[in-house]
Amino acid sequence: MSKPPTASAPPRALHRPLSPHLQIWRYHITMFTSILHRITGVATIAGLLLGAGWLVALGATASGICPEAYTVYLTFAASPFGLLVWVGVTLAGFLHLTGGLRHLIWDMGLGFDLKTSNLMAWSGLLTAVLATIAVWFYLFATGKVVL
Amino acid sequence: MSDSYLTERSAKDWKKSVKHGAGEWLAERGTSVALIPLVLWAVFSGIGLANQGYEASLAFVRVPLNAALIALLFLISGWHMFMGLKVIIDDYIGKPGTRGLLNLVNLLFCLAVVVAVLGGLYFVFKA
Repeated sequence: MSKPPTASAPPRALHRPLSPHLQIWRYHITMFTSILHRITGVATIAGLLLGAGWLVALGATASGICPEAYTVYLTFAASPFGLLVWVGVTLAGFLHLTGGLRHLIWDMGLGFDLKTSNLMAWSGLLTAVLATIAVWFYLFATGKVVL
Repeated sequence: MSDSYLTERSAKDWKKSVKHGAGEWLAERGTSVALIPLVLWAVFSGIGLANQGYEASLAFVRVPLNAALIALLFLISGWHMFMGLKVIIDDYIGKPGTRGLLNLVNLLFCLAVVVAVLGGLYFVFKA
């Protein structure tokens, strides 16, 4: 709509746009990255909890309140399942980071055209995946993490 | 009845707040920008500490600058998490009572994470 109709001259029938109708909408990469930003934001909470758990365990062990706390933490954090969570959190965190950067660029009023939006969506996905692979490749290659 | 909402509902009926909105918008962006360097620092620190054992972790956290950055990271991400979860709750939960309750749980959860981290830091330094 180029120009909103004025109240003095109301249109015969104003057809307002309906909500995005997912069944008839042609799939587009930006609709995927849009909901992905929300999903990865929630998923990253797991990373915050892992970090908080680490500090609580460290404090509890160091102070002697619960000397075995750090070992208990490691039985989860260093377990195969814990490792899976760490990898997932790394990917979710990097996706949320690149998604956030995309939103910050939009907030500056830039990159709204289709071409730039597509480019930012794809480059954000690619950067996040590559960063995750780089981090975990380094951790496994240097033997800091072993299965 | 015509479909023209412009004649039936004027701008003065639209739901809007003159009290808040800009503050939340700025806080979301401000915390986002602050978290970029903090999270990258956390990733690098985490890589450095992986599989290095309890003593290395303790020594890392006992460095005052590291402890300050950890506190800052969790304060800002706790705030960011609260705002993010609140937006999701406000979007998907229509019933005002349920929405209010969930937002209270959200607030308590985010505060608990921040308090736990600050408590952990306190005991690391006290010991």
